[in-house]
Amino acid sequence: MTTVPTAPPSDYAPSLLARTIAAFSGGTGRAAKLVGLALVNALAFWAIAELLTQSRGLWALITLAALLALDAVYFLPGLVPAKFILPGTIFLIAYLVIPIFFTVITAFQVYSTGHVLTKDEAISAVQTQSLQPTGVSFLMSPARTADGTLVLLLLDEETGKGAVGDGDGLRPLPDGTLETDANGVVQSTSADYTLVPASELFSLDTQLARYVVPTEDGAAIRPEGVQTAVELKPTLSYDERTDTFTNIETGTVFTDNGKGSYAAADGTELEPGWREFIGWTNIGAVFSDPLVRGPFLRTLAWTIVFAVSSVFFSFAIGLFLAIALDKPGMRFRRLYRSLLVIPYAIPGFLMLLVWAGLLNDDFGVINKLLPGGLDRPWLFDPFWAKVSVIMVTTWLTVPYFMLVSMGALQSIPSELTEAARVDGAGRLQIFRKVTLPLLMIVVAPLLIASFAFNFNNFNNIYLLTAGGPAAEDQSVAGATDILISYTYKLAFQAGKGQDYGLASAVSIFVFLIVASISALAFWRTKALEGVR
Amino acid sequence: MTTLDDTVHPVLAGTQAATSTAPTPKARLGDTWWRHIVAIIAIGFAVFPAIYVVSAAFNADQSLGGASVIPRDVTLDNFRELFNPPSDKSETAYPRWFLNSIFVALFTSFFTVLLGALGAYAFSRFRFKGRRMGMLFLLLVQMFPQLLMLVALYLIVLRSGEVFPAIGLNHLVALALVYLGGAMGVNVWLMKGFFDSIPHELDESARVDGATPAQIFWGVVLPLAAPVLAVVGLFSFVGTFNEFAIASVLLEVNEKRTLPLGLQIFIDQQYGERWGPFAAGVLLAAVPAVILFAYLQRFIVSGLTQGSVKG
Repeated sequence: MTTVPTAPPSDYAPSLLARTIAAFSGGTGRAAKLVGLALVNALAFWAIAELLTQSRGLWALITLAALLALDAVYFLPGLVPAKFILPGTIFLIAYLVIPIFFTVITAFQVYSTGHVLTKDEAISAVQTQSLQPTGVSFLMSPARTADGTLVLLLLDEETGKGAVGDGDGLRPLPDGTLETDANGVVQSTSADYTLVPASELFSLDTQLARYVVPTEDGAAIRPEGVQTAVELKPTLSYDERTDTFTNIETGTVFTDNGKGSYAAADGTELEPGWREFIGWTNIGAVFSDPLVRGPFLRTLAWTIVFAVSSVFFSFAIGLFLAIALDKPGMRFRRLYRSLLVIPYAIPGFLMLLVWAGLLNDDFGVINKLLPGGLDRPWLFDPFWAKVSVIMVTTWLTVPYFMLVSMGALQSIPSELTEAARVDGAGRLQIFRKVTLPLLMIVVAPLLIASFAFNFNNFNNIYLLTAGGPAAEDQSVAGATDILISYTYKLAFQAGKGQDYGLASAVSIFVFLIVASISALAFWRTKALEGVR
Repeated sequence: MTTLDDTVHPVLAGTQAATSTAPTPKARLGDTWWRHIVAIIAIGFAVFPAIYVVSAAFNADQSLGGASVIPRDVTLDNFRELFNPPSDKSETAYPRWFLNSIFVALFTSFFTVLLGALGAYAFSRFRFKGRRMGMLFLLLVQMFPQLLMLVALYLIVLRSGEVFPAIGLNHLVALALVYLGGAMGVNVWLMKGFFDSIPHELDESARVDGATPAQIFWGVVLPLAAPVLAVVGLFSFVGTFNEFAIASVLLEVNEKRTLPLGLQIFIDQQYGERWGPFAAGVLLAAVPAVILFAYLQRFIVSGLTQGSVKG
């Protein structure tokens, strides 16, 4: 890269901005730096304390290490470049590098609706869900013994017999020890137990929810709220040693199937499952599972068609307009250009939503403007929806290529076209043999960049057709879904269940495709030589 | 910033045409009539959706189907309705959405410019170990649009929110911080290109006068780089303002939504009843970006071309 330094004007008068900035240099700047660092340190220590109270020691350690590194960079002399690069890098790592890492990890996991917990969480969830009421229920009052231990005073709703329960089990109390008062609250006449006052009950909430009074056959009494309790009996028993669940009645054994579920020999799975590494299954599914491969390949093909044709039409029309306006001294030229840039100046999402209205079947203006017989179901027919998407994208992108081409045309030395004319070349010949090749040197990398951008142009699809209409194969991917909107639907639209694992696998494929295109672009432009 | 990944800034290229208006003789209409016809037809296509929006915004008829291009009864009812929604549109929170969008876009673009400029300054002015690797690394990671990591970003923000609610789901700051993950990358490349064109002699003379690197950055380089800062800020602002996918995943509560999410849910196929207020909302939402475009053109024209297009 040969950069000719453009000297700033020699009579440089500092602007207001410059003077403001200068005011913050020197002593003020040093003070600002200290205040900023103090704030960062305070924030980090607060975060570490918070993480420790929530027993997330690893993250507390990571935060501490990051803070030490940060303080080292800013308080030690030297390391000047790091002082400037660090702030942006922190965000780069937190919200770009770590997510990339997570995406790759998720692609190798079963991580979907029904598989969002960790294995331990899933085991206790399965245990809780297997509990069935035995039909025995109690009125309950939490109470404390003389030494302060929490116990449950239980009055059997059917037999009227009283009992006291704690972690060791249930002990019957003599008849008449427990009675209900006018409000139906269990009261005790025994001096051994003091009822927990109502004002303290709420603070016992979590403790009560975990309170278990074991009874016979693995059944247990558990509080429901603060005034009642029921006896529940598990239908499944978990054996930690073999890591299996056994159905107590039928004896069916459920073992860890390696895919994030406990499954019986006949394939029945216990719910919920957990997220689990399953190797190449998600990535392999894109190649081998017909239910995934079909929509994926169809969507990939359409993504390429969409990106290529949008870029092609935008460039062709933009270039044509640039040539039409490339006439020095033409009247209204600047006015024309400002009006033509309008679709580019307005934020894209607004015009996409407007176009969705204009192309609407029932109300749309487009069908009204078109002469009879040309009206179409623009957004509700798979073919015309694709046409609409390309059309609107082209409408939005033409000004970009018009501006780019105008600049590029200006940069072509007129001597070259003059020379060609002298040699007897016609207008078309000059354009094809001289102008276009020279133009392409400037524009080709932009075409590739624009292709890569449209390849992931989520807004243009989602805000116009939302990927619809539904495709014939009834998959999540609609007729106009491109890969990125397909991924979005896989992960976040609950219609057919959310599948983070598969979504991540598909996004890795999208990345590979886009990266190859970008690599091509950078190889073509040799941008890498710019790193001096 | 995912939405900013079209690495080229066409406005810059366009200004080349604008700045080179050499005094040429006025072309005669005879040579140029076809150019005028092409331009006028193209302008027709370019502006007619905008014309429909303007007319619908001031039209008393709220339906898309009923709207005529020239409103028969000019009214401000549609705007009033946006700010005081009637009961059948009570979930509308247009003013909130608007402020949310402005907040996120300003926050993101300000810090994108700041963080990007700091990084670009280091890469432009210092020679240090790992510099080349750093630049290549930025080039590499910016090939991963954040859009591709939606799942991971969602899970990260979800988990962060369990510990620190302020950077969890449904918090605008969390969304802006996620956007800042893309602040380095292409912006650093763009700004470094411009910084390189600012003569090093200026730094030298400041250094001789005893200025520290920080003072040179704030006092010398940054003011001279105003055009590139303006352009990066503009594109970051517009890109953030436009962003839909990440925002839709991180913001689930109505009053936290940004404009793209809010307006999409507001219109949701109800072209019969809501087109008028919707058009009014579109018109107002277009104002900040268009003003920025018009205002910053001054900076853009003042010669950013040398910095970026050369790269």
